Amino acid sequence: MKRIDVKLAVPVVAPLLDVIKDLAGDLGETLAAPLALHDLDADFRAAWSDELLAAQKVEVGRLLGLFDDNFFREGVVAFDADNAEVILRACAVIRLRLRARALKPLADEVLEGGGADLLAVPDPVRKAFMCYLFLATLQELIIQNLDESILGS
Amino acid sequence: MAGVWRVVVLNDPVNLMSYVVLVFKKVLGFDETTARRKMLEVHEQGRSVVWSGLREKAEAYAFTLQQWHLTTILEADETN
Repeated sequence: MKRIDVKLAVPVVAPLLDVIKDLAGDLGETLAAPLALHDLDADFRAAWSDELLAAQKVEVGRLLGLFDDNFFREGVVAFDADNAEVILRACAVIRLRLRARALKPLADEVLEGGGADLLAVPDPVRKAFMCYLFLATLQELIIQNLDESILGS
Repeated sequence: MAGVWRVVVLNDPVNLMSYVVLVFKKVLGFDETTARRKMLEVHEQGRSVVWSGLREKAEAYAFTLQQWHLTTILEADETN
């Protein structure tokens, strides 16, 4: 099975995990990408929301599970066919939530370009933006290094 | 609910271009060129019609795109 091991600096990543955990708790029963299909039958819409929410919880749980005791000992996380897609989606969830909750002071153009002036923003925003970039990096690593046979595109 | 329905993906400033391309290829079966063209439509025009057809199948595509956390709407295609 093809797999990539990514070595991370634990002292750098650990504070970002606190941000992710806080946001995961904050999500609660909320979809990161709100359901925009307004003309669905109410029961159908509720069933969709429930299913999407359940999947979102699993995804975020898998992301947090990457950073277990072994990560804090070795500083390594691994991606393979078993977790690549779910981690990609989990990163999207947390990034969307970061924008909605912690990155409002930053313009959309900044979020798209990834180049904020970190010295000019308050510390909580700086930390949230570092987390936002970290998760994007994980996504890029997965997309670039796990080929189509694994990601199934 | 009869007639032709469009599946429309809306832009967000968060999801990476490479991520959106991957999702379009995976969910909609686009080749790389089509996926990139549709992704750029979303990025530059704020939206892209990625599929059109019967309501039931349109809903299935919309649901799957939402599973990938892309904001998706359905529109009736009034031209059909």
